[in-house]
Amino acid sequence: MKKIYIPIIAVLLFFACKEVFNPPVTSAVTGYLVVEGFINSGNGASTIKLTRTTKLVDSAATIYEHNAQVKIEDESNATYPLYERDSGNYVSDNLFLNPALKYRIHITTTNGDEYISDFTAVKQTPPIDSISWKVENGGVQIYVNAHDATNTTRYYQHKYSETWEFQSPFIKRITYVIDPVSSKIIGVTELPNADTSIFKCWRTQTPSNILLTSTEKLSEDKVFLPIRYIEPKGGELSILYYIEVRQYALSHEAYLFKQKLKKNTEQLGTIFDPQPSELGGNVHCITNPSQQVVGFVDVTQEQVAKLFINNKELTNWPQTIPCSEEVVENKPENYDPFLMPTHVYEYIGRNSIKSYYVADPICVDCTLRGTNVKPLFWP
Amino acid sequence: MKTFVYIIIFVCLSFCSAAISQQADSPLVSGDFKNVPVDSFLVQLEQQTHYHFYFDTAQLGAVKINITAASQPLKTVLDKAFANTNIYYAFHKNNVFITKGLQVQTTLPQGFFSGKGDDKGAVANTIPDITSNTAESKSSAAENKLIIIGGNAGNSTDRFTIAGYIKDAKTGEPVMGASVSDQDSKAGTTTDQYGYFLLTLPKGHHTMVLQSIGMRDTKRQVLVQGDGTINIDMQPQVMALKRVIVSSEKASNIKSLQMGMQKIDIKTIKQVPVVFGEADVLKVVLTMPGVKSVGEASTGLNVRGGAADQNLILFNDATIYNPSHFFGLFSAFNPEVVKDVELYKASIPARYGGRLSSVLAINSREGNKKDLSGTAGIGLLTSRFNLEGPLKKDKSSFIIGARATYADWLLNLLPDQYKESKAGFYDINLNINHEINKKNTIYLTGYLSKDRFNLNSDTVYAYSNQNVSFKWKHLFNDKFYTLITTGFDRYDYSIFSDRNPVNAYTLGFNINQGYFRTHFNYYKSAKQTIEFGFNTNYYKLHPGTYKPLGKSSLVNLDAMQPEQALESALYISDKYNFNTAFSIEGGLRYSLFNYLGPSTVNHYVDGQPKTEDNMTGKTVYSSAKFIKTYGGPEVRLSGRYAFSPAFSLKAGYNTQRQYIHVLSNTAAMAPTDIWKLSDPNIKPQYGDQISLGLYKNLKSNTIETSVEVYYKRIKDYLDYKSGAVLVLNHHIETDVINTKGKAYGVELLVKKLTGKMNGWISYTYSRTLLKMDDPAAGEVINGGRYYPANYDKPHDVTFIGNYRFTHRFSVSLNATYSTGRPITLPVGRFYYEGAYRTLYADRNAYRIPDYFRTDFSMNIEGNHKVHQRFHNSWTIGVYNVTGRKNPYSVYFVSENGVVNGYKLSIFGSAIPFINYNVRF
Repeated sequence: MKKIYIPIIAVLLFFACKEVFNPPVTSAVTGYLVVEGFINSGNGASTIKLTRTTKLVDSAATIYEHNAQVKIEDESNATYPLYERDSGNYVSDNLFLNPALKYRIHITTTNGDEYISDFTAVKQTPPIDSISWKVENGGVQIYVNAHDATNTTRYYQHKYSETWEFQSPFIKRITYVIDPVSSKIIGVTELPNADTSIFKCWRTQTPSNILLTSTEKLSEDKVFLPIRYIEPKGGELSILYYIEVRQYALSHEAYLFKQKLKKNTEQLGTIFDPQPSELGGNVHCITNPSQQVVGFVDVTQEQVAKLFINNKELTNWPQTIPCSEEVVENKPENYDPFLMPTHVYEYIGRNSIKSYYVADPICVDCTLRGTNVKPLFWP
Repeated sequence: MKTFVYIIIFVCLSFCSAAISQQADSPLVSGDFKNVPVDSFLVQLEQQTHYHFYFDTAQLGAVKINITAASQPLKTVLDKAFANTNIYYAFHKNNVFITKGLQVQTTLPQGFFSGKGDDKGAVANTIPDITSNTAESKSSAAENKLIIIGGNAGNSTDRFTIAGYIKDAKTGEPVMGASVSDQDSKAGTTTDQYGYFLLTLPKGHHTMVLQSIGMRDTKRQVLVQGDGTINIDMQPQVMALKRVIVSSEKASNIKSLQMGMQKIDIKTIKQVPVVFGEADVLKVVLTMPGVKSVGEASTGLNVRGGAADQNLILFNDATIYNPSHFFGLFSAFNPEVVKDVELYKASIPARYGGRLSSVLAINSREGNKKDLSGTAGIGLLTSRFNLEGPLKKDKSSFIIGARATYADWLLNLLPDQYKESKAGFYDINLNINHEINKKNTIYLTGYLSKDRFNLNSDTVYAYSNQNVSFKWKHLFNDKFYTLITTGFDRYDYSIFSDRNPVNAYTLGFNINQGYFRTHFNYYKSAKQTIEFGFNTNYYKLHPGTYKPLGKSSLVNLDAMQPEQALESALYISDKYNFNTAFSIEGGLRYSLFNYLGPSTVNHYVDGQPKTEDNMTGKTVYSSAKFIKTYGGPEVRLSGRYAFSPAFSLKAGYNTQRQYIHVLSNTAAMAPTDIWKLSDPNIKPQYGDQISLGLYKNLKSNTIETSVEVYYKRIKDYLDYKSGAVLVLNHHIETDVINTKGKAYGVELLVKKLTGKMNGWISYTYSRTLLKMDDPAAGEVINGGRYYPANYDKPHDVTFIGNYRFTHRFSVSLNATYSTGRPITLPVGRFYYEGAYRTLYADRNAYRIPDYFRTDFSMNIEGNHKVHQRFHNSWTIGVYNVTGRKNPYSVYFVSENGVVNGYKLSIFGSAIPFINYNVRF
């Protein structure tokens, strides 16, 4: 039996598969209004972004809705206008909303359509208690801790962005000489000074996954959210890592809306897929009630917390990504544009380079993985 | 030996009914035979006389003749020649039959036509020398023996009822579905699932022809003189190198009143190649016309446009709520224990009820009543073992089967999101039956299956079926019997996750039912059979219990209130044959459903959508209180008109009610779907179906063809609002909507189950459309228009073929094509929450690409020596030979801010498989 098994297993290795699927080109033009943002209950400005839905495959990246009249209204008919600041972003003044009232957004687009959201009660977001981390399975797991002593928040959304500093494993001390006419590499020469501009960089990421937490089924309104896992020896922690977490309290309806959005657009592709469903929201077109509108405008606030993790706080965590360099002879056939010369291995005489080290550019030029402009907040 | 038997049969069949005495005068022959082989001797005699000699050279063997004859009578010469040998001769007209061991009897016993039954002994004497002890000679002896039934009563025009029981001579198991018919009048019937039959014949001599799949065709000479009984042993079909195929009466599809009914025996099931090579009951059912599924790895069957929860799946008598293992890749039924499968799509017998679309009855074998035997099999993913044998010889037997998997290695090959997954399952079957006496038989059946898997590393799913049933069959008399069945079924699943200590939880669900059923069958006459009975079923469901796991878990206990109900039904059905051509069966089933306390029921504003805002209050009901009763009659009507013995027309109408529903908003039926009882806020489903079929058999009934059309309506089928919460929802009625459905189609089937080349081709055109257009109920779907159901695949062609090169080597090929299933594709794109995201509108407006798959397998059996201890067989094949990447789904996800479309294929390449089986 053994003899038969082995080839069979080898063939079986490839049986399930996922391929790119190109949608039918004939998808309809929709152009529904998309309303994103929240009415800020946290004593600051509110920002509402207006865009339009496009065809599934569309040359336009995003179609912004310009020159609309946008205002926040409360139940007592007070209004607070928002002004378009840049492409589709409408921003209010700093507002101090009355937590006892309900608020809604009112939009009039340039084509005369009017939209309102449902009146929504003010939600206060509890502050983030802390961001903590611990080593799990060789990697670093970062947690968000929060609680609401009144047990009334229950639904949370979290967003985060992260920045980390890192260094190239190799410093560039020599460079190719390029013929200005033919653009060909004609030699290798030493730089007067090592190129430190591509040695130290920062990288910032803002993942777009929707992170939702419900404490509905817990006895305490307590959040313990594993928000980010850094793989063992990951480059994020090679020097200094920063994470900024923003927390929003959600109404139950907003939670359901975002959960549906997440299910429709992120959680597909399993054997037991939920069926994608129509995405409503709490914004309605009052001039044409049958017109679909995408978006949910909640009245909430943002709470922010930050955390730095230094490589020194970890044990046995490498300070660079694994890279290797090799020695080549200084000959034209070795002038490979896909490799980057780093430093001299051996001279002929006093100045002439006999052989030198080369490495993958990603191991030398940190700007291939980030920016060499230090962020303003960086210590 | 075999050739000899056939000669005997042939001779008897041809001449037994002719009463002509042996020739008295005998021609004269001459010759000097010195050491002449017997065959040349007989050839020389034939040349000298006008007689034809019938003999089998092989049988007579190397006997040498040493006689001298000079113008002596033929008989004298033969007497001399065969003196001191065991060779016999017999004359009939101008024919001489030379046989070894026993003599061909060319005359009928005395009094055969006189109606005197007491010369049975004379008949038995006609074959005096049964020297061989093999089953073959026994059976041939039995075939020739005249069996007298009943005392001599009545006059020659009366008809009498013969109650019979057929069992397998080798294992002692009853033979079900065997065809029993009178050779001359063609009057016939089939045995029931316990091997019993009733046949009404006129007084006089008859030849009863008995046929069953896997059994040797046999006959019995009966002299009917009154009502009586007969017990018949049938010999199992040992693979014969040459055999006479009698296939004149295999026309049950023409004769029966059932339409939309398919029966497949395990032998056919085992021939059909399936992925991983393990014979799979449900996958073969899926090849029948009118049966579809959402995709390759899904459990649910969709029968004639019905939802997956609208099928009553009965394993013996137990209801199986989840008939699959391992995400639907395997069916939960051990092929070594299964005997056959019956699928009722249209004329569902009145004794079954409670589901709208179909009844799938899976019958298991009873176990060998003579010897201890068993089988074992090894496959790529599973191994199985079964053992059977007598507990008390000829009276009781047991069969136990078990199956287990070692599939983790396979999961490592699945797409990335399933890496680190683990899965395992096992199932165990036990059947015991005991014949207390001729009138009473009891059956005990047990079934246990368990699955456990985690699809990604932190959540573990487990589910289990547990069933036990006890059945008593009692014969009041030959015409009237009853079946009393009681049992308990349970299905449960649990999920647990302990990765995040604060949220660590377990979620459990279970459904329990205890039932009691009585069924009476009264065979009034050849024209009329009446069945009636009473069923009751007590349900107890725990629709979800959410519990903390571990000390640091903050999870609150959230237990849904248990649900309990009683579903009962009274039914009667009457089958009446007006004449051989026209018969009608009318059935009426009255079903009653009582939703019982203790329970708290939510109230809503009348005429308003059931939403949380419209909830007006709650009523608390105490234990055993009848909270809500639903019920109503269900009609089961079918009729048949046979234009000829090979051509009939059938029509049927039936209605169904269903009180238990699956809550699921996934495309495929998932093991973690929750079942929900009808309650004051959730109405039962109701469906009716009208169907019409034409059945024509060709080539002496070896080819069956049929065309069936149907139209079906479904009312109050449960669908879900967008974003419905189904788990732990204490007011589920606010998230569901009642939809209407209609389904219609045409099913064409050509089937050949005998011969070297066998198999079937089916084509189905069918549509299943749903509609939700009542704005008062909440949400309307697709603007209130009809939209296709998930399993609406209009065109479907299936070919199943098996070609037997020799008795030890056969190849099977199946091919299936169907229209791609409907899916909801995004209509647009928008930017939200930091990513491009998809916008969905019309439900199921697009279709995934069409499905096409071909599978191939070879079955190689070891030698067929009857008496060897072990019989080996191998199955080697390839699933999806063409390697076509049939899409299971097409989906769009937002990844790193952009929308990507993917096509997921479950089996995207050719999959070879191998299976080894041993029978002992």
